[in-house]
Amino acid sequence: MKAKRRVVTASGASVPPARRTPTVRKPKSPFLPARQRGPGAVTPLTSPDPGGRPGTDGLPVDLRVDLGRGLVLPNPILVASGTFGYGTEYAEVVDVNRLGGICCKGTTLKPRIGNPTPRVTETPGGMLNSIGLQNPGVDAVLEKYADTWAGWPVPVIVNVAGESVGDYVEVVKRLDGMPGIAGIELNISCPNVGRGGLQFAIDADAAASVTAAVRRATDLPLLVKLSPNVSDVRPIARAIADAGADALCAINTLSGIAVGPARERPLLGNIYGGLSGPAIKPVALRIVYEVSQVVSIPVVAIGGVTELADVLDFLAVGAVAVQVGTAIFADPTLPVRLVDELAGECRQRGLTSYRPLIGTALPKRAGAPSSKGAEYRP
Amino acid sequence: MRLVGAELIESREILPGQWLQSYHAPALATGSRAGQFVHVRTGDLSGLVLRRPFSINTADLATGTITIHFRTVGRGTQWFTHLRPGDTIDMLGPLGRPFEVDPRSQHLLLIAGGLGIAGVRALADEAIRDGRQVTLLFGAASARDVYPTSLLPDELEYVVATDDGSVGRTGFVTELVEDYESWADQAFACGPEPMLRALARLATTRRGRLGVAKLGRKRGAGKADPPGSPAARRKAFLQVSMEQRMGCAVGACLGCVVMTTSGAPQRVCREGPVFASEEIDWEGGWGR
Repeated sequence: MKAKRRVVTASGASVPPARRTPTVRKPKSPFLPARQRGPGAVTPLTSPDPGGRPGTDGLPVDLRVDLGRGLVLPNPILVASGTFGYGTEYAEVVDVNRLGGICCKGTTLKPRIGNPTPRVTETPGGMLNSIGLQNPGVDAVLEKYADTWAGWPVPVIVNVAGESVGDYVEVVKRLDGMPGIAGIELNISCPNVGRGGLQFAIDADAAASVTAAVRRATDLPLLVKLSPNVSDVRPIARAIADAGADALCAINTLSGIAVGPARERPLLGNIYGGLSGPAIKPVALRIVYEVSQVVSIPVVAIGGVTELADVLDFLAVGAVAVQVGTAIFADPTLPVRLVDELAGECRQRGLTSYRPLIGTALPKRAGAPSSKGAEYRP
Repeated sequence: MRLVGAELIESREILPGQWLQSYHAPALATGSRAGQFVHVRTGDLSGLVLRRPFSINTADLATGTITIHFRTVGRGTQWFTHLRPGDTIDMLGPLGRPFEVDPRSQHLLLIAGGLGIAGVRALADEAIRDGRQVTLLFGAASARDVYPTSLLPDELEYVVATDDGSVGRTGFVTELVEDYESWADQAFACGPEPMLRALARLATTRRGRLGVAKLGRKRGAGKADPPGSPAARRKAFLQVSMEQRMGCAVGACLGCVVMTTSGAPQRVCREGPVFASEEIDWEGGWGR
């Protein structure tokens, strides 16, 4: 394993803990070892960046991403919820602390046993899953993993799911202020649970109300994950942005089914599953392209990333970061490798930051994109 | 758990559509125990996004090789058959929890249905090496699917049943168990779920008839072990190796669960694939 270079700022260890406020919160500075990181240790955005592989030739490349409300990721390659467990499962074969962020398995208020089996099946260029949000509940998750996460430099974003607005709010309240939690990813788009979940993602008013309720309950950085299972995602994205989300994630899985071998019934125990993998990349690209033009908050892309070209495609249509999901199952080392490859790509192009790669394929416009008043014109 | 490149040494079709492949992977062979598995990436990247899990059929520490035994069922498994000696593939392993043999058990009964032989094959080697007596009961549809004797250790007693009676006893392998259940100290099974369910039922009734719980200092007495622990499996008469469609194989995706009697689904890749038969909820009670 390669030794990680850590840049320790002179003030890092000596700054007394400051009272947490919503705007200057730096819950997870990637530049200091955990023990030297205090709540008040703020790393200036202009400091040298460790995102690229240390020791390789050329200038350091700034890969940091600001997702708002103080959530600054060390690089724009995250791992997607549901594909990386709680970060500990792959830790034997992956250096998780080189990731830009970890979105943990969907977490609910009460424990859930999930859906009947079979729960996963391979499909052409992808897979269907219908786990049904199996998880031990937020309290058990915190008890088991919060300390581990607090000791990791990598930001951990907790994916939160629920059946009602009250559920979401209650889970978020328990996460608020816990060490080791860098942010919330609101899962309002799980296609695999009977009640709740998806209903919030297909209606702009419902999406806005759950976002606003969660916003009131916490000042943790708030990401909201969009569903592709809608006719037009733009009004929903705008409503969520207006309701106070700090960033959007797109997309969750596409609803689909597979047929069993004997063709007597659908294959999955839950009948319906969510399609992921390279097969959905064009859909994800389209939605990121649409959403990034109608909101002014950062968009994190998810959907079929298997190589650097996919990362560059998503950046080009306006994403500031990407999540790698299904591809991890085939190649657990892919996300970390993508971090190195992205830095290498920037160096090759003579860039000191990856930011010039963002939005290059979007329609040229005079001003900055607005989150308000941009109406859909076919 | 390690991620290694494994070089193909030998590949042959031992039965119609069934392949036995030997790979040089010292890092996996050394740390593995009977019952564990490897998760292997196909090199066919034209749309296959998942790895394929294979039981470690045998592991040879001296040569650093492991073998896998599989049936060609689709494009993924087909791809493996096209590999040539010298080709290197990407293996993650050893994964999962192994069989646990009670140190006092002298007579081990292995029960395999068809390709389930791959799940218990390594245990035969381990047990014989430890000086135990092993009987393998094997069931297949017909003579053409019967695992070749030449690939089994000489010390092993091999009893075959076929559905059509073309070789060995006519009927299911579960019907052979009756003759051996009083001889066996412990039993280990892998195969289709209906077979495992039938065996679990037999094991339960055996406990009532032949169990030793209150007859003195024998297996079954003493304090209860936490469910899922190696000690709980070690005390069980029947241990089963479960199969389930698998995603990540490291416990992250929760795709490969089985329902247990505790009411909580357990991951085949992490808490399994080997379970004590009484841990499994054979009715698959998902409460719906």
